[in-house]
Amino acid sequence: MFIEKIDRDVLLKPLQIVIGIVERKQPLPILSNVLIEKTGPTLRFVATDLEIQITTQIECTDQTESDAAITVAAKKLQEILRVLPEGSKVTLDIQDNRLQVKANKSKFNLQTLPAQDFPKVGEQLEQVEKVQIEQRQLKKLLSMVQYAMAQQDIRYYLNGILLVVDGNFLKLIATDGHRLAFTSIKTDITYTKHEVILPRKTVTELGKLLADTEEKITFELAENKVRITFSDIILTTKVIDGKFPDYERVIPNYTNHLALDRLTILQALQRAAILSNEKFRGVRFVLTEKNLRIISSNSEQEEAQEDLETDYHGVALDIGFNVNYLMDGLNNSPEQTVIFSFGDPNSSILITVPNNNEFKYVVMPMRI
Amino acid sequence: MSHPASVIMARNPFLHTRMSAIQLLPDLLINQIAAGEVIERPASALKELMENSLDAGATEIAVQLEGGGVKLLRVRDNGGGIAPDELPFALMRHATSKIASLDDLQRVASMGFRGEALASMASVAQVTLTSRNASAAHAWQIQAVDGTQSAASPAAHAHGTSVEMRELYFNTPARRKFLKSEGTEFAYCEEAFKRIALSRPDVAFSLQHNNRVVWQLPVCALAQRITALLGDEFAQGAVTVDHQAAGLHLYGMASQPAYSRATRDAQYFFVNGRFVRDKVLAHALRQAYQDILHHQRHPAFVLFLDIPPEQVDVNVHPAKIEVRFRESQKIHQFVFHALQQALGTPMTEATPSSHTVGAASAATTYRQQAGSYTTPAPSPLQHTMPLRTTAEPLAFYDAMFGRKEESENQETKNGISPFTFHISPQEAQPLGHALAQLSGIYILAQNEQGLVVVDMHAAHERIVYEKLKTALDAQQLPIQQLIIPVSFAASALDVATAEEEQEALAQLGFDLAPLSPTTLAVRAMPAMLKQSHAETAARDVLHELREFGASRALTERRNELLATLACHAAVRANQNLTLPEMNTILREMEQTERSGQCNHGRPTWFQISMVELDAMFMRGK
Repeated sequence: MFIEKIDRDVLLKPLQIVIGIVERKQPLPILSNVLIEKTGPTLRFVATDLEIQITTQIECTDQTESDAAITVAAKKLQEILRVLPEGSKVTLDIQDNRLQVKANKSKFNLQTLPAQDFPKVGEQLEQVEKVQIEQRQLKKLLSMVQYAMAQQDIRYYLNGILLVVDGNFLKLIATDGHRLAFTSIKTDITYTKHEVILPRKTVTELGKLLADTEEKITFELAENKVRITFSDIILTTKVIDGKFPDYERVIPNYTNHLALDRLTILQALQRAAILSNEKFRGVRFVLTEKNLRIISSNSEQEEAQEDLETDYHGVALDIGFNVNYLMDGLNNSPEQTVIFSFGDPNSSILITVPNNNEFKYVVMPMRI
Repeated sequence: MSHPASVIMARNPFLHTRMSAIQLLPDLLINQIAAGEVIERPASALKELMENSLDAGATEIAVQLEGGGVKLLRVRDNGGGIAPDELPFALMRHATSKIASLDDLQRVASMGFRGEALASMASVAQVTLTSRNASAAHAWQIQAVDGTQSAASPAAHAHGTSVEMRELYFNTPARRKFLKSEGTEFAYCEEAFKRIALSRPDVAFSLQHNNRVVWQLPVCALAQRITALLGDEFAQGAVTVDHQAAGLHLYGMASQPAYSRATRDAQYFFVNGRFVRDKVLAHALRQAYQDILHHQRHPAFVLFLDIPPEQVDVNVHPAKIEVRFRESQKIHQFVFHALQQALGTPMTEATPSSHTVGAASAATTYRQQAGSYTTPAPSPLQHTMPLRTTAEPLAFYDAMFGRKEESENQETKNGISPFTFHISPQEAQPLGHALAQLSGIYILAQNEQGLVVVDMHAAHERIVYEKLKTALDAQQLPIQQLIIPVSFAASALDVATAEEEQEALAQLGFDLAPLSPTTLAVRAMPAMLKQSHAETAARDVLHELREFGASRALTERRNELLATLACHAAVRANQNLTLPEMNTILREMEQTERSGQCNHGRPTWFQISMVELDAMFMRGK
């Protein structure tokens, strides 16, 4: 006997936590399995894709038999549990190397693979820098930069987020070569400088798992991996072994500023975007004294034009952008007001929020 | 060229009229004899007429041919035209507006100057000349048949000149027999047309054959003109050459070794805008391609050498296809270095050029679709961020032969090893990042275009070779004095060259002394060369000095030695390399000159683009 009469929901919850990284189509069969380990009253669930490992655990009241461990197809187990009637009591049993799932009058026999074949990351971490932050704070910070990560770029070090601790600051930076998002937060602890690049998949998975609580999340930054501990979850990830570009050189320092209501400009862009070129998504900003005109047109010669009254007093400017890039930044900017800062038509623009350095977003222009 | 017909014609009268008195030949006969040299075939007439048009300042030249140019050859331009009263002189021998004195001849800047082209044509074909200059109220026309000119008569023509030549060699049937088929004669004409069109992108050209438009070339930049005439494939596989020094200017395009040809066509060299074949230049070019081009392949190039007119003598050959340089050694050095530099530019500095092998690029030219070309509007261009990482210095030999990175750890026991995947921390580069090694011979790498396959031995061989060369170039050449001079029998020419070129020889590390009018002795020679080779080396050097004004024979010998050394020092096949080692080779290749070819001219790498791979798997079909 493995586990007796456990509530369906209690079993489903940890499974759903780890299952996010399990690929259903796996050339390596054991990677589509979840490792279930029972040690005394503790039931631990482990899943991995060789780059990320997620571990979570629950306490079960049942203490009938000795310790055991087994791996079983994660998605199938999840499906079965999900469609069982609510409030069902589930019994798991190992028989002839198969896992039998019983609930009410249902019975399922699942193929297993031995637990000792499951690839696990060593527990030991060396030369660790510990970083702590509130979960909800991190969630907010991630949302401010996450969208700017590159996707399958040949410059592999861009396919993730750079996490920097330096003195009293924690910074997150993401770029895909066309735009760059930067965010930073003051920390209570003083750190020695440390940088890691978290892979894209880790970042998206983390974003899903983070809760809106004041509970702390702990990062343990080691040589080539990071262990992230929060709630009952331990997420261990390899980091991207590469050198992230010098982001500070990309963030400009301009003198032409334009303050705008975030929603006003966002909605104007959303309207203009409808008639922008489907492929290139270009919009033009024509800046004149106290006026911002947004112009777009598509390959069928359809045109959109938006005029915004502003308090702009800088030089007149005509500059083009990919409208999606602008909307990404505006959608994730933390304040009601945004400040656009302009250089010349061939230089980037900088989007910031008033009075703090929490958020900086740089977008390269597009020649239309 | 010794034309069989002219030999027969010249010899027979001599045999039978040995006793007749010496007399002046009639003008027509003189012109016909000259025509044998100047007007060899329709193509040479076409060349002369087009050059006349260019000398007249035309900006539009239209060529019409019929029957390969034999039946009809008409060149119409919008140039300055000829004044009505000068018209009768135009068809006379040694009548020209281009030079007036010997002084002019020495600084001749126009294409023609001998004043014999039109006269020659008029003696062997029916020529009609119609012209109107800026001040004339209407055009005037003269005709010449069999050397007799009609009086000028009024005609209709816009500003400019038209020359029409019909029935070439109608009065010398013997020569006419030696003309080839219509297709061949047209091909020669087209080649002549191309040469001139290449040299003047600032002039619009058109060519019609049998009322069909073959070429329509609008005024454009040089690069576009070259692309139009030689095809996209050439333009993409070529490097741009632009080098200026000491009043000389070499510019144009030269093919990279990967784009080479089995024949010598597509080799265009222009001196002051004039197409030439010159052995000094040819030698310099061959040298520049030496050890990067497979010996059975020929480079393609369109190169222009601008040189002060007084430094070159173009009056060597009636068709002016040969030139003579005042300082041929200087020219040789200049061309060689300019081209070698352009070809040797490492790919990290060069402008991106596609290096695709086997990509059947549909070369769209202006050919046969004349006039239908419109430039598409430029598509939007997203600027990219100037992302820079602080590059870590390469410890090449460390990585190659010494310490390995201790990335493998104990987690590898099951064959599955989480968290050990290792990538070297370099910037994205033209040759991308190494993925794996194939059969211990090839490095597979991924770059932005797709897959890169590198022959690691060939690539590394080149890297080591270039390093050895650079190291040696920086050093003074050690010279070995010989206890017993090596003497050898030499021709009087060799002895004379050795005396004349003492200085050049000394620079090369040779001390040659004449022992007798037919014997030379080697008293000192570069230490790198084996003594047993003294005689052949000295002969080679003398020969090259005499023929080309410069000798690279020694450098070549030295390079052969270095190539052997490099071959032994380079990684061998079946040597297992780790990813960091492979990446190091890729980075070194990017920084090494001529790394696209191994020392024997074989390619070291090629690209299979995603598009080609997709096509292989019929993706997106």
